This record gives sequence, structure tokens and C-alpha cells, in this order.
Amino acid sequence: MSFSDWVNISDPLANPNSPYGVTENIPYSVGSGLWEIIGGILAWIINMIVPGNRLSPWLISDAVTNALGLVLMVVVFFAVIFIVNLTMIWIERKVLGRIMDRRATRIGPLGYLQCLADGLKTFLKEHIMPDKADKKGYMWAVSIVIGSAVLIAGMIPLSPRWFLADYGTGLLIVFGIFAVSPFMILVAGWAQNNKYSLIGGMRAAAQMISYEIPMLLVFVSVVLMAGSLNINDIVQFQMDNTWFIIPQFIGFVVFMVAAVAEAERIPFDLPEAEAELVEGWQTEYGGMKWGLIMLSDYFRGYVACALGVIMFLGGWALPFMDELVIPEIVFLLKVILLFFIMVWARGTFGRIRTDQILNIGWKVLLPLAVLNLFIVVLLKMGGVF
Amino acid sequence: MAIKYMDKYPKNVALRGWILKPFLTTFKNMIKTTIHRPVTIMYPYEKEWIPDNYRGRPGLVFEKCVGCGICERMCPTTCIELVEVEDEALGKVKRPQVNVGRCMMCGYCAEYCPVEAMTVTPDYELAGYTREDLIYDPYQLKWENTTIGMEVHLEEHLPSNLAKGVTDKPTAFYEVDRPKLIGEKCISCNRCAKTCPVDAIEMIVVGENAKGKPIKHPKIDDSKCVFCEQCIVICPKDALEINEVL
Repeated sequence: MSFSDWVNISDPLANPNSPYGVTENIPYSVGSGLWEIIGGILAWIINMIVPGNRLSPWLISDAVTNALGLVLMVVVFFAVIFIVNLTMIWIERKVLGRIMDRRATRIGPLGYLQCLADGLKTFLKEHIMPDKADKKGYMWAVSIVIGSAVLIAGMIPLSPRWFLADYGTGLLIVFGIFAVSPFMILVAGWAQNNKYSLIGGMRAAAQMISYEIPMLLVFVSVVLMAGSLNINDIVQFQMDNTWFIIPQFIGFVVFMVAAVAEAERIPFDLPEAEAELVEGWQTEYGGMKWGLIMLSDYFRGYVACALGVIMFLGGWALPFMDELVIPEIVFLLKVILLFFIMVWARGTFGRIRTDQILNIGWKVLLPLAVLNLFIVVLLKMGGVF
Repeated sequence: MAIKYMDKYPKNVALRGWILKPFLTTFKNMIKTTIHRPVTIMYPYEKEWIPDNYRGRPGLVFEKCVGCGICERMCPTTCIELVEVEDEALGKVKRPQVNVGRCMMCGYCAEYCPVEAMTVTPDYELAGYTREDLIYDPYQLKWENTTIGMEVHLEEHLPSNLAKGVTDKPTAFYEVDRPKLIGEKCISCNRCAKTCPVDAIEMIVVGENAKGKPIKHPKIDDSKCVFCEQCIVICPKDALEINEVL
């Protein structure tokens, strides 16, 4: 049998095992196509060595193509998010550098590869654990912090044709997992047996729990207005009517402030106050653990911006247009725009005191969020939407 | 809450733009530094432009130097020492050697050099691995791209001349310091003529002694003398002394 008998790219929608049925899904198509090439070449080589074996046809069967195509699909999906995150880190460093009138990144074209160089450097560091730390808490807590950040980043669809799963609970489960990490940060701060990390963990828990509430109230008002938890439905509702930033501008501002606090970024970076606590709750984490924590911070920042885009800026839709034009790129550009605003705020403000942070959270943002919910209820009852 | 905040701070921040004003400031700065580059200079890779007369380490134009030793005497930190070197072209000559570990880059040696052989150089990266590395011998002191701008000229004027408005460099013998001979002390030993780095001293017969041998006294050529005081230092009978005019 010749090469073309083994390697041929079929239509992924025709695969009877596909979990997506007849819905177009680009990562799945890319993943199964990749497996059809890789597995086909493997099958061809094995068939050349042992002609007429049963392994080769099995490698290119529909079931195996589906299973390994799903694995490769996750890799493709994660690679895209990862590259977007690297771009966001690059944007943050460049913009901050320009705001502070200094040079920012240097490695690679326009300094783009700097964070890869930093990642390589942290990767080569030694694994160090404090002697008196709680070993299980030390490793598991940070694993869950990083893992939950990556998980919710994977749960955000980039467009109706670029997603991992289209689930009915939608935003609710994203917010649910988003709220897991404060507890794990507290556990991590406790497990390190270090006063700085303990104070940082306490601060993280206090701040994040108080900012969850206005954030969830805003989320409730958005869901109430759209009438659905599903992300596709929310975006579709905004395409049919208007972007939610217009009726819910207060909600947008509250959400952005709360999102900055949730992502532990300046001016709400008290858990990681470099000037007071050494490195906050991450003090005793070194090497690649620290690098992954940093990366997960940016994943959380990405998720916060993506949620803002989905809930207020019309997701992957363009204004005044009914059909979608390269929706993934539009969505990512909007995310990067929101992230730029977060970076801009970081370059502009200093760190806010703990009592001020809690005052803002409970006394300003919470009433504003309730007011936003009230407006939404009025609009719904008035039959505007 | 908001009203209380404004009562607390009489300068009404809400009317002055509140948080929008710092946002605007940083945005302006970002645009400015994106168009014109940031002020930071990435030092080992980029270097600032430095002028020719930058006070770096001292440099030496080996051929011009006469070995007079003025720099050695002038140096405030005594980091210069005259050493004898065996040069291929010039033979055995005396040239300055500089301990740049002690040098404070004042440029006095270049300023006082009578023949402009000592210069300042733009070389400021002087780190070495040992202290001996920092002692620069005359050949290390050479700087290839010596320009006229690296010479430092001494503008030395008499106060009386300045009062008269004369700004030309003084050259006449009654205007600058010169060695002066006290004739009765001289023993005609010829050492001053031998040691003079610019051959300004010539021994002239001024008479005969009781045994009929000629008495020779040094005659100083003012056009050549650089007033390095070497003849005064070497004279065994203190027959030469400084004639200060200032």
C-alpha cells in the first residue's frame, strides 16, 4: 500500500465519534487533521516494517483519530491561549516601560521573546522547599492555584467555532472556579510557615472574598439581562440587541475594578506587596513554581478581561455588523484592549492600603453593583430588553 | 461616602478630574516615549556620546613626550611615575607611567604638559583583575585616535597682564618662571646640560681658573626651556634656583 493510502485528511465533521456532532470546531478539525498526518505516517512506517499488521489500520481508524484528535485539540487550544498570554505579558512590560520612561524588554524582535527567556531561566532553577513547610499543602495549594487558572482559561470560548466545550452552565462555572484560588492561596500562605506569606495569604483571602461579591452581583445582572448562563447565548443576545456596556456602564466599571482586584494586580496587589511583604503569599515559592504562579496570574488576568469582553463588549461581535468577521481575532483584540487598560491603571496608580481596599469593596462597589442590578431589573420589567 | 470624601479634601478632586487626570498624564508620557525613545541608555550595548576632552584616563603621545617630569610633580594623587623604557626608535628614554587605580582623572598632567604629549582620553572602562593591571606603562597609555581636542591647554596669565587686557600666552623670559644661575656657586659639572630634556642648556666658557682650565657656566635658551626644574633638582651645589615672576 502506498503513502497516500495511509495519510489522507478527511472531513472531521463526518467522524461519527466526534463529541461536537456537526458543529464546526476549528481546534478539533486542526487536532484530528494533525493526528491524521502524524498517525498516518506512523501507520505507513509500521506497515512498511511489518506488512499486513493490525496496528496500522487501528491507528487511522475513526475512534483513535477522534481520541487523539481531542488531545491534540487541547494542545492547540492551550497553545493559542499561551501565545496570547505571552503577548499580554509583552504588552504589559512594554507599556509599563514606556509609561515609566525606561526601556522594557530586549530579547527577540521588539523584545517579544523576553518572557520566554525569563521562563527558561526560572526553569533551570533548583527545586527548593522550606524545611518546616507543610509539604502537601505547599505543593497541592499552588498546584490548584495554577491548575484552576489554566482550567478557566480553557473554558472561555474564543468564538462559536473555537471552543473546548459548549456547556449550559457557562459563566456560572467559570466564576465558580475563579473563586477557588483565594482559598488555595490562603492554604499556600499557611503551608509555607513564613510570616510574610501568611500575611499575604490572609490579605489575599480578605480582598478576594470581598471583591467576589460585587463581581458576582454584576454577573447576576448580566445573566438576568441576557436570560441565559451560556456564553454563546449572552454574546448572541448582545449581537441582537446592544452591547451591555451601554445599559450597564456602572456594572462594567465595577466589574473591571473587581477584576483587577481578583487578578491581584496593582493597584490592588496587596497580597503580593513587594515593598512590604517580600513577595507576599509566594515568598517561599522559587524557581519554576514561581514562574508558573506568575503565568497563572496572567491567565487569571486574561480570564478577567475575557469575561469583561463577553459580558459587556459583545464578545466576538463587531459593532453594527450582523455577521461574524474572523471572530477569534476580534475577541482576542478586545481582550488585549481591556488588558491594556488594566496595565495603564497599573502604571498610573500606587498601591492602595488594606482598609481602603476593603472600604472601596464594601462601601463603594457593592452599592454600585446593587444599583446596577436595580437598573437591570427596571429595564427588564419595563420591557426594554 | 463620596460627599464625605470631598468634605475631607477641600481641593475638590472630583472637579480636577479625579482619577482621570493621572490616567491622562501617564498616557501622554507613554505616547511621548513611544515616539521619542526612552531616556534610558542600555549601557554596555549603547554608550553615550562623549566629547573629545572627556576627562577619562590620561593618554600619552609617546613621540612627543620629552620626559620632563612635570606631570609627575603636578599629579595631586602622585599616581604618575617617570620610568625608563627602552624604545626601539628613541633608545633609552624616560616616560610617565600612571597608576589609574589611584588616578582621579583631573587632567592636570595634560594641562601642564609643555609639549602636549599628555592628553586626556575618552577611555573610562578601566576595571582590571589585579591591582597590577591598573598600573599603565607608557605603551599602554598610548591612545590611537588622539585628536587635537584631547589636548588640554593651560591658560596661564600674569595678573598684571590680565589687568592690562593682554590675553596672549606669555613667552618672554621676564614673564614666566625660569631657572636662574648663581654664578659663584657653579662648579662647571655639566650635569644640568646632560639632564635637560629639551637641550635648552648649553655650557659656555666664561673664563679660566687658576690652573688654566676653562670655567663653564650653563646658559639657558629661553625659547626651548619648559621649566621642568630638573636642572635645579640635579645641581649638586644649588647653583641654579627658580626665578619666580608672579
